[in-house]
Amino acid sequence: MTATAIRPARRQEQRPPVRRTRFGRRHALTILAFLSPAIVFVCWFTYYPMLQGVHMAFRDWNLWDLTSTPWVGWANFATILNDPVFPVVARNTVVWVVGSIVPQLVIGFLVALGLWRRFRFRGVYQALVFYPWAVSGFLVGMLFRWMFNAEFGVANDLLLKAGVIEAPLPWLADPALAMTAVIIANVWYGVTFFAIMILAALQSVPDEVLEAAAIDGAGTVRRLFSIVIPYISTTLALTVLLRAIWTFNSPEIIYAMTAGGPAGRTHIITTWMIEYTQQGSYGLASAIGLSVMVVLLVFCAFYLMAMRRVNQR
Amino acid sequence: MNRTRTGLTASLATVGLLALTACTPGGAAADGTVRLQMVESLTNPARTEVVRELLDEFEAQNPGVTVDLVSPPTDQADQKLQQMLQSGRGVDVLEVRDSTVGAFSNNGWLYDLSDDVTGWAGWEDLTDNAQAVTEADGSRYFVPYGFYGLSLFYRTDLVEEAGFDGPPKSWEDLLEQATAIQDPAQNTYGYAFRGGQNGFANVVAAIEAYTIDDLDVEDAYRLEDGSTIFAAPEAQDAVDTYFSLFEQASPPSAVSWGYPEMVEGFTNGSTAFLLQDPEVIATVAQSTTIDESQWSTAPLLTGPTGRAAQPLATAGWGVAEASENKEAAVDLVEFLSGAEPATRFAQENSLVPIIDGAGEDPFYKEGPWSSYVAMTEDPETYVNVVQPRGVSWWTQWEQKADQDLQAVLLGSMTTTELLAEWDTFWTEKYAAEQ
Repeated sequence: MTATAIRPARRQEQRPPVRRTRFGRRHALTILAFLSPAIVFVCWFTYYPMLQGVHMAFRDWNLWDLTSTPWVGWANFATILNDPVFPVVARNTVVWVVGSIVPQLVIGFLVALGLWRRFRFRGVYQALVFYPWAVSGFLVGMLFRWMFNAEFGVANDLLLKAGVIEAPLPWLADPALAMTAVIIANVWYGVTFFAIMILAALQSVPDEVLEAAAIDGAGTVRRLFSIVIPYISTTLALTVLLRAIWTFNSPEIIYAMTAGGPAGRTHIITTWMIEYTQQGSYGLASAIGLSVMVVLLVFCAFYLMAMRRVNQR
Repeated sequence: MNRTRTGLTASLATVGLLALTACTPGGAAADGTVRLQMVESLTNPARTEVVRELLDEFEAQNPGVTVDLVSPPTDQADQKLQQMLQSGRGVDVLEVRDSTVGAFSNNGWLYDLSDDVTGWAGWEDLTDNAQAVTEADGSRYFVPYGFYGLSLFYRTDLVEEAGFDGPPKSWEDLLEQATAIQDPAQNTYGYAFRGGQNGFANVVAAIEAYTIDDLDVEDAYRLEDGSTIFAAPEAQDAVDTYFSLFEQASPPSAVSWGYPEMVEGFTNGSTAFLLQDPEVIATVAQSTTIDESQWSTAPLLTGPTGRAAQPLATAGWGVAEASENKEAAVDLVEFLSGAEPATRFAQENSLVPIIDGAGEDPFYKEGPWSSYVAMTEDPETYVNVVQPRGVSWWTQWEQKADQDLQAVLLGSMTTTELLAEWDTFWTEKYAAEQ
């Protein structure tokens, strides 16, 4: 038996091909017309500078003489990798990202759990909790710089009055404390984002599933770990990824609080890039920027593969 | 179809508008009116107000000329200015600093004012210093609006209570007095040590005071024999004295103190001495913790031979090479450099004036300004020197020097290693330049 015999004959329908084509073209033109400002805007302000940055990374692009920007190949990348500061900056970046993300996730989760159930003035509490996200990161850095000032800052004042410390701590002057201080500032800033994302995910957990589990005898902790967390795991992973990328890319808090000091102990890859920019060494700064972009693209690729696996389950 | 056309038209209009936003005002209009764009870089609201008032006066004196003032936030201003200069649009008159003039002129972004300035009616009113700094390699790319110089802010009451009959004159005196005043238990510290951003500048000021007798005043990072000041034997004494100020007379957290912490430390009454530019006078005068009877200023600290090097930093106004209205732009710079506007700008911004004889004004003769007059009147003791702030590696140097300074304060580098590092850095840079 042939395939033609099994498959029923397809009905020949009268379709209006001409009309559909005309409509499609018009429709496409309309869509394109409405999209064109956005396309122009994005190309002009995002992709053109990005391509220009790639171009600069392979040239000796120095502010001192922009009339001559010779091609130097991979030399800028070699200069960066051979710089004795590079290993320190790389280690600091890992500490900065991991040290910021883990507390943000834990505290953000707890805050979201606290705001999950209905209670009086929940909207007010939510607004107060989410407010920091509206503040500029640089401003947050400036505020924390004064809060952690050893002599005039509120952090030492509170710790002294609470009897936690006996003498003021030089928060921003001590290498170990300085990294702790900038991470605390970043945790305060980023908890909000975790709380927003996790709260939204929690609100999507079906009540009937939780009620069924409760009837079956599952306690609060069991419901949290066996139902809630697995249910929102995709959101958790997405939020961690986004914050990791932003934290990796965010120099403003460190820049405002310590400018990478003391003695380079809080320098991360992006504050290092700013340093080169200030020197006018745009070629070297672009090489760092391009390297960061490649690292983050690899990170994103791994994440997308993991997400696909989760969705296929 | 009409809807499609409308959508297309609206979109094209939007794209057109976007394109137009990239264009800038400027150029002479058909009716002969001129619109200038002026960009400042050391922006703050009070200063911008003064500049705007001066521009209003200029507009009143020059009918048909309008000046738009662009005031980007200070921390973004240089980059914004560079982008505007590179694009060749949107800037006619701009603020040029001694640290940016080299790069700007090297890229051909600045108009050479040589043929204009010497013919100005007010040119001869400028001080010798002001005339001198306009010239570099045979060209004049900016006219200064004032100078920033160092002096010692001190607490008269604390000095007296500690048993001293006057402010310190030398770095050694400062160490002695600051150490005597230091009392951490009472939250009182001797010296507002600058360990953070730009902290290296005060280390260099101390080294220059100790090497002043052999210093090349035209390039104050070198001695007359061509070697760097960091290699001089006297430099070791200078840094040892200077870093003793941190160990004996400063709060430990001063490792990270930059400009705001230092000024706050002095104005809130917790530190007795502060080495700063005159622009701080206005800030200290507004303090609600210390009144004017409790503080004053003293001349810059001297080295062992009783002399000091005054590293004058400067900034001013220049004209963009790409300006389509150079004549009007040059007129504006001439106006701003005139006796009345320049003196007013210097007074309102606490700057050492560029106009000859402006120091005779009672404003400069009294109170905290008197130490600047004292220094000006004694050029043999307080020698004006020029630091190589226009070299291409200056920002790299600032960043390196600040990190090395903090390394010494944290104990991971000795003062001898510091001087060796700095000597090597400058020796190699000078050699590469030649």
